[in-house]
Amino acid sequence: MKKSQLAVVISLLLALAFIFTNLLACAPTQEKLWWIGYSVPLTGIAAEKGAPIMHGQLDAVEYINNELGGVDGIKIHPDWYDTNYDSTKATANVKKFMEDRCLFFTVVSSKEMSASKEVANRAGFPGMVCFSAPTCTHPPQHIYAQLPDYGDDWAAFSRYYLKNIWKGQGKPKMALELLNNSTGYGVRDAARAAADELGIEIVATEEHSATTISETDALTRIKATNPDILFISSTPAPTAIILKNASDLKMIPGLTVACAHASFTKALIDSAGKDVCQDIYGVYPTVSWGDNVPGMAKMVEYCTKMHPEYTGNNDYMIGWASSLINAEIIKQALKTSSADALLKGDATAWQLVEKNGFQNVKGYDVGGLHGPVDFSDPVDKRGSKSVKIFQVKNGEMVALTADWVDAPNIKYENLDWFK
Amino acid sequence: MSLPCGTRNYSYNTDMAIIRTKTQWVLFSLFLLALFTLPFYLPSSWFDTVNSIGIIVIAVVGLNILMGYCGQLSLGQAGFMAVGAFTTAIFSQSLQMPFLLSLVCSGLSAGLIGLIFGIPSLRVKGFYLAISTIAAQFIIIWVLKNWTDVTHGANGLDVLQASIGNFVFDSEARQYYLIFSIASLSVLFATNLARGRIGRAFIAVRDNDLAAEVMGINVFNYKLLGFFLGCFFAGLAGSLYAQYKGHISYEDFTFQQSILYIGMLIVGGLGSSLGPILGTVLIESLQKGLTYWVAPWLEQTVTFLPTGFSSGLNLMVFGLAFILILIFEPRGLAHLWSLFKGSYRLWPFSY
Amino acid sequence: MDTFIQNSISGIAIGMVYALIALGFALIWKSSRVANLALGQLVLISSWFTYGMLMQLKFPFWFGMLMTIAFAVLLGWLIERLALRPLIGQPILSLIAVTLGLAYFLEGLTAFIWPQGQGYLPRVFPQESIRIGPATIQQELLWGAVISLVLFILLSLFFKYHKMGIAMRATADDQLAVQACAVPVTRIFSMSWIFACIVAAIGGILISSIAAINYGLVETGFKSFSVVILGGMESFLGCIVAGPIIGICETFGGSLFGSSVKELIPFLIIMIVIMFKPFGLFGEERIERI
Repeated sequence: MKKSQLAVVISLLLALAFIFTNLLACAPTQEKLWWIGYSVPLTGIAAEKGAPIMHGQLDAVEYINNELGGVDGIKIHPDWYDTNYDSTKATANVKKFMEDRCLFFTVVSSKEMSASKEVANRAGFPGMVCFSAPTCTHPPQHIYAQLPDYGDDWAAFSRYYLKNIWKGQGKPKMALELLNNSTGYGVRDAARAAADELGIEIVATEEHSATTISETDALTRIKATNPDILFISSTPAPTAIILKNASDLKMIPGLTVACAHASFTKALIDSAGKDVCQDIYGVYPTVSWGDNVPGMAKMVEYCTKMHPEYTGNNDYMIGWASSLINAEIIKQALKTSSADALLKGDATAWQLVEKNGFQNVKGYDVGGLHGPVDFSDPVDKRGSKSVKIFQVKNGEMVALTADWVDAPNIKYENLDWFK
Repeated sequence: MSLPCGTRNYSYNTDMAIIRTKTQWVLFSLFLLALFTLPFYLPSSWFDTVNSIGIIVIAVVGLNILMGYCGQLSLGQAGFMAVGAFTTAIFSQSLQMPFLLSLVCSGLSAGLIGLIFGIPSLRVKGFYLAISTIAAQFIIIWVLKNWTDVTHGANGLDVLQASIGNFVFDSEARQYYLIFSIASLSVLFATNLARGRIGRAFIAVRDNDLAAEVMGINVFNYKLLGFFLGCFFAGLAGSLYAQYKGHISYEDFTFQQSILYIGMLIVGGLGSSLGPILGTVLIESLQKGLTYWVAPWLEQTVTFLPTGFSSGLNLMVFGLAFILILIFEPRGLAHLWSLFKGSYRLWPFSY
Repeated sequence: MDTFIQNSISGIAIGMVYALIALGFALIWKSSRVANLALGQLVLISSWFTYGMLMQLKFPFWFGMLMTIAFAVLLGWLIERLALRPLIGQPILSLIAVTLGLAYFLEGLTAFIWPQGQGYLPRVFPQESIRIGPATIQQELLWGAVISLVLFILLSLFFKYHKMGIAMRATADDQLAVQACAVPVTRIFSMSWIFACIVAAIGGILISSIAAINYGLVETGFKSFSVVILGGMESFLGCIVAGPIIGICETFGGSLFGSSVKELIPFLIIMIVIMFKPFGLFGEERIERI
């Protein structure tokens, strides 16, 4: 009996600790704060992207609070929770944000947003997603996307390719090598919707998992179709393997290879080696790290001060920009609504922030970090609608276009196979 | 089984009853009262936790029938939940079927799929069978992922909230009543099942299937029945999950979840009607409590560690609690409860 | 024909890497009948530890490897001593559930110490690919295959001829009887966990030097379950044969039916094997008595 008595004591202690911490957390905060929900995959399979983005977001909040004195004198309180990259937890987080009376919320990945968007849409709770997929913002409801989605990457690159690179006759042949989740499927859907219209023939579609260690067999099949372009939408580690295998199979150099923005980061070049990556094209929705734009200096300063390990990581930049946009949304909302009405964080406040905040953000340039943000379009819910095309030259990502390349909005809701 | 001193039964009916003494009746009515008035005094931030506990309890009760009574290890419960969830999504959305009907259909479809994957139980047992249920999990998820015309693959499906007639379960409190009515019925059904002929047969199969066969129990039939019932409950849980969450895709039902359900069942106690409930409540509230209360509190108070440290620490504490519970009570919380009851009755004497 | 050879060779090479991870699973099963659900997390944490040694503390390669093996030994010993030993004699399902708790704990520990989520090891093996006839193969995969073969031979010999190995097999068969013969069961368990952790560490270093260190290693761990079941849970030979079979089926399935089928194939094979050969290709058939 001794052991079980000990067990009783332990479970009681656990329960007590539980209640105690609960009471502590429930102590009401008197201070006026802008509560914004941040749902981030800090652990689990997407931590490689979740961690830099979240730190970018929180560092920017720090910057806004300390140097700009918050928004309208009221500081931002980031109400963040880990999702573990799990759909159920992502949904629970959004419910928690509504309970916490947040003004709106941000989500990092398309998977988590597609899981949690319905809860938010039902309640009219506006949210913004950093990396989106077509399914997050189509049909347009209360969810906004910070950046063009993976499908838009494909469309923007295809246009660029047809205009500037393609020299042959007829339709260029394109092979797709896609990650088996919304990162890859976004491109698959876009290709299905718009390849004919753009004048591109898709000759092969291969999928791989995030855990792949060799893609030689898939690439052999792709090689047999003799494509002109290979488009990869995946994360850095698998993309590095694909590139190395392609180089083993003597497909590159020679074949035009392009990567969508999930994999086109410094980690890719580090892991695949700069010889293999030479002349690879990439699509990315931000400027390169260290470019001469107004917002860069502050961000680099905070990054070196708080998280030097993310220096050169463009995901950090996306996180940083997303918090700047959040502040801009509140600023716009305050032009027409009173701070008190917004601070309540109830359904009326959500309506106000969406109507007066989100939809009044027009041409906000985020310090030049990425394309100008415009949420005023009732159909196109993407903030930034443009990307840049990069090419790897001697281990550096060099922008090929000085200006932003427009990513067309594909009208998925008109297609009957896309619900 | 063990009764307080002085309680005597004068008929088989009283001997068979679940609730036998006045104290038990009082406690039980108080419990029911508490359960069904909970929404009136529950803080609104608790609803999500409580409702998801209700849903998971149904799935774990099913798992208990299959694993605890029938002895067939199943590592695919989340996969069978997915079958139920997608059945509800498709039936209630495209076919406009009333919710209660699609709830039953979800249970049936998950049960039927469970039957198919239960067939190997004729020849294999133990962990070998578990691996066939892992296969079930992955095959089901693969089908849901690639049958894009019906399931919309990674985009998933939207599901309307449940409704009976014109009454829509559109608030958390209403959802609570829906979920807990079905959960209570499931628990009641499972409890009575275990006490009846079928339950006894299950236990015989679990303890030694060869001996059971010699005794004249059709082992294969009962194993399949176990699979059907276990997966039927998974289907119900999936159906409730789908309408509660509003949007489902194959990514909601991961292998990790299947494993976690087994963990909940083992922590609670296999083969008892109380076990699945205790295990689910403890593990699920531990998980939610750590994420939503402990983590923010830690981040606020411990400032010398880098931001974000709490999410790793959370998982560590969760794993540690899991291990400790099992080390101190390897037979599950239900066993602890019966020990407590036993010593309470005899108090102040030790034996 | 070229595709055929290419598919076979890459399939075998990938499969051998799965087999390497699966060996660690079979080891524990063979000596204690515990299904180790924390397999992937063991691979993950030892890869991160290597990362810490080589990339963060910048130790020379040989010293880093030595430290990793030492860490694996310590980890295995600790796991057995703290988590599993208190449960000796308890229902086997509780032991399996403890490995689940362990999985969460180790995952949290890695996230706590290495929050960046992704790391790259220096390339251990030469990067040039090798041509075998018309087929091309990454050299690192070939090295992986060689390492799993060597480990397989060592482990088989150990279990067949060494006194400890024989005692391990006996323990799995009947704990009580073995205890009656004065075999230290506790030491046997801790040895088997130490071995399993070393195998996991070697597998982890191999895979993460080909791809990257991230949570994906856990999923690779799950994949090796299918190898174990196809081969038969208690057979090292089974792992080493079943790994390549699954690898080949994946590559051929991919080229015949499209690459989305790839992840389905191991599990279809499992279902078929279980229907026709319930104890795997090389598992022991148990004869039951009442």
